Amino acid sequence: MKAVHYVNQFFAGLGGEDKAETPPTRLEGAVGPGRGLAAEGIEIAVTLACGDDYFAEHEEGALGTLLAWLEEEKPDVLVAGPAFGSGRYGYACGTLVAAAVERGIPAVAAMHPENPGVDAAGKAYVVPTAVNVVGMRDALPRLARFATALAEGRELGPPEEEGYIPRGFRRNYVADNVGAERAIDLLLAKLGGETRTEVGGGLDRVEPPVPVGDLSSALVALVTEAGCVPQGNPDHLHSVRAQGWFRYKLDGEETMSSARYESVHGGFDVTLANEDPNRLVPLDVARSLEREGRIGRLHDAFYTTTGNGTPVVTATRFGREIAAELRDAGVGAVLLSGT
Amino acid sequence: MAWELASFSSDLLPAQIEVDGAEVEVVRPGEPVRVTHVLDAVEPRVRPDGRPAFPTDGRAGQGRTNRLAGVVVLSCLDFPGEERPLHEQESIIDLAGPGAPLTPFASETCVVVSFHAPDGARNEDLETHARTETLALAERLAATTLDAEPDDVEDFELAPAGDGLPSVAALLQLSDLGPLYYQYVYGTPAGQAELPRIADPAEVLDGAVTCGEYHWAAMRNPTVFFQRSALIRALYREHGKRLRFAGVVLMRGYEQTAEAKQSAAEAAAVRAQELAADGVVITTDAGGNSHTDVMLTCRACEQAGIRTTVILAEETDPESTRPILTDWVPEADSIVSTGNVEELVPEWKPERVLGGERLLDGTPAAEAGPIPVRNYLGAANQMGQLALGARAQ
Amino acid sequence: MLAKEIERAGIPAVYVTSLPTVATMIGANRIVRGPAITHPFGLDPGERRRIVERALELLESDVEPNTVWEIDR
Repeated sequence: MKAVHYVNQFFAGLGGEDKAETPPTRLEGAVGPGRGLAAEGIEIAVTLACGDDYFAEHEEGALGTLLAWLEEEKPDVLVAGPAFGSGRYGYACGTLVAAAVERGIPAVAAMHPENPGVDAAGKAYVVPTAVNVVGMRDALPRLARFATALAEGRELGPPEEEGYIPRGFRRNYVADNVGAERAIDLLLAKLGGETRTEVGGGLDRVEPPVPVGDLSSALVALVTEAGCVPQGNPDHLHSVRAQGWFRYKLDGEETMSSARYESVHGGFDVTLANEDPNRLVPLDVARSLEREGRIGRLHDAFYTTTGNGTPVVTATRFGREIAAELRDAGVGAVLLSGT
Repeated sequence: MAWELASFSSDLLPAQIEVDGAEVEVVRPGEPVRVTHVLDAVEPRVRPDGRPAFPTDGRAGQGRTNRLAGVVVLSCLDFPGEERPLHEQESIIDLAGPGAPLTPFASETCVVVSFHAPDGARNEDLETHARTETLALAERLAATTLDAEPDDVEDFELAPAGDGLPSVAALLQLSDLGPLYYQYVYGTPAGQAELPRIADPAEVLDGAVTCGEYHWAAMRNPTVFFQRSALIRALYREHGKRLRFAGVVLMRGYEQTAEAKQSAAEAAAVRAQELAADGVVITTDAGGNSHTDVMLTCRACEQAGIRTTVILAEETDPESTRPILTDWVPEADSIVSTGNVEELVPEWKPERVLGGERLLDGTPAAEAGPIPVRNYLGAANQMGQLALGARAQ
Repeated sequence: MLAKEIERAGIPAVYVTSLPTVATMIGANRIVRGPAITHPFGLDPGERRRIVERALELLESDVEPNTVWEIDR
């Protein structure tokens, strides 16, 4: 068996957030978690690595380089991760395994089920892991077993038997009960407070609302998912998996000064942001535009949370709560920043 | 008033069966037969008191009805000429092979009635003839039970049930798409039958609803699915145990304008409120457009404070990982999937083909290769008759 | 997720992010691609002004779902 392993800059031992701009790199043999996979019998010929930010910002080029190396190696299987709850690393893993499968190379990634990289993996397999690196010891043997099965070309069964996250292919099966009885069970459960479904609605889409008619008379609000808070983080916004959102008064401030604000986001290197928090919440430019009459008025508070590993239901709740406040305040348009 | 359903042995099926303008063949369970161009499936029924089994006036669900158990009449018609209204919409039943478990008919004695379709005949006239003759035949075949002893008699009556139980209604969507795509209530097309209306569940089991709807085979509800409604039977069974069966609402589906869809949905929710239902199971007929109706109905009920579970088939490319449903509203958070109709059923070569030797696309029916679930009659029906489901892999 | 919920409430929201693919997956409709994860609104006020102006234009535009705009450079 011949395997290629993909990791980010951190797990390749190249460095932390300060090395997140590292371009694709090719290393001989097993590195970092790859040694753990090797101990489980995965013969890693080559390790490919890339900085998380580099991949996100130069996706096409990075992917092209990585795929070219992959095609050169012609491995029996590509293994990516584990990326745990890291959104950018997971996204890179998912994107790479998806592209490998398109080219006929069996591929599997490993990450937390709520990592956006799971969606990016498309038709490729993803083995679930814990949300952080504590789950490494548990993840590697499962990932190795799965990679071996893929490399050997074994026919794979359903997700619960094989231990992968369902990819979304809808396959028929014969249930224990007829649909009518299942429907009554689901309805009684729902009436009892437990809502379940056999099929989700897929992606919940919202139609774009009609555009702002006249920005020069509109109240505009600044919102961020980039973890921007007053210095010292008085309300203890979490750097990952936020438990809430906060509203901070602007009191007519002209700029997000580094003396007063910082970012506590745990998903990227905040050095540049903390030098000038306007890079996350563009208060300085927004004030200029307010003075020039391009926008009517700036809402005198900004809203903040950390978009980093937050489960969908929680993030949706934050969104609804913030939206309700904005609507009540008469806000007509929102400038939102993410990472 | 209570209703009794008496079951009689299939041995009572007459040996000689003739239908005007059609060939008739009886197929026993297990025979390697494929039936094509199937319009409807009907269980033979008759009333000892002489009233019609499929009444157009009067009321079903009262007194006694006799049934021939384990027998189903399958009507087949290959509409002639270029004007085929049902292009692509093949309707197949396999009585053996890998497709057999997809329909409930392989374990039954099937009376296959293949109607002739003379050139020049109008499709709607042919359909009316086939539909009325099939219901009449179903009634004739059960006549032998009138002098026989039943194997079993079931009593359908809803006794007063405990106050603490949740009140549950069934909301049955009937197709109002147009000629050849109607379900009928007491012989009247759904659109003219003053729907939505509250019905006694026994009426539905007793021939008040019949099918003249020939859309996608897997997602349609032939007459026998109303006669044997698994949903209504299960609600009777659970009545007084886990729930209180509040009743049935018959509603229109497959409306053709956004306004008609919305008003049909809202009116159905009002009927469910009149039944004082805490929750409803909503069924669906056909696909695509009618899924919008079911979603609007779900939303209207939820907005009226009535919890919902929806029964739906999926129409997803087996090689795609998204999207899943044709239409969806966030209120539809409790859905039973009756299977993905786009999945292929492996090839099977029947020894005999009834109903028409060629499929609608011209392929010989005996050598058709893999066939999508979509083309098997009732295979992914959205009344919950069968155990098929779909899940993510 | 915030963008989607704010737009669900009927308020046009423009989402500036350097990961537009992820943004489209979670159902944002008005997306401007920022230059980098570490500084979605650019490094200097001049660059920031171009990004904000682009974002305001998107707020004023009729869009299809999942629209992503690049910044003119």
